[in-house]
Amino acid sequence: METGLVRPGLPAPPLELPTLACDRFDLADLRGHPALVSFLRHAG
Amino acid sequence: MKVLGYKHRLDEIGATAVFVTFDDPEPVRERLLAGLDVPYPVLVDRERETYRAWGLRRSSVAGVWLDPRLWARYASLLVRGERLRRPGSDTLQLGGDFVIDREGIVVYARSQERDDRPPVGELLAALRRSSLD
Repeated sequence: METGLVRPGLPAPPLELPTLACDRFDLADLRGHPALVSFLRHAG
Repeated sequence: MKVLGYKHRLDEIGATAVFVTFDDPEPVRERLLAGLDVPYPVLVDRERETYRAWGLRRSSVAGVWLDPRLWARYASLLVRGERLRRPGSDTLQLGGDFVIDREGIVVYARSQERDDRPPVGELLAALRRSSLD
């Protein structure tokens, strides 16, 4: 289901995905640091 | 991924970054990341569930392919001698940039409308503000 763009002031939605290196990533790993989350377009 | 050229600024702020792609790892490595040193995690979301969860939509065909700026950019690449490649898996899926603070709260959100990205300075300013809160 598509929702509206996540709004400032709200908790970031989950971001638990494999990395290119096949590690697991959890957004909680970034706690304690401001972080840029950049969603890319196609590889081009 | 212009922000990669500003890693020193992110380090000064105490910030980090994470990138999300929906393409297969192979074209991502061979095309998108070719020649780049990416010291941050690159996540793979083949099903684009997180794209949807963060509210990133797909554009219309006209929204992407009838944009004169896209063709101007392609022309510029050709003039520079670059070879155009077959597009990736979904040229209509839009990206976006978010800044989250130290507690995991979104403090900045911007979706692409086509190939546009916010200026790096705007992202760095949001990161700096969130580092001071």
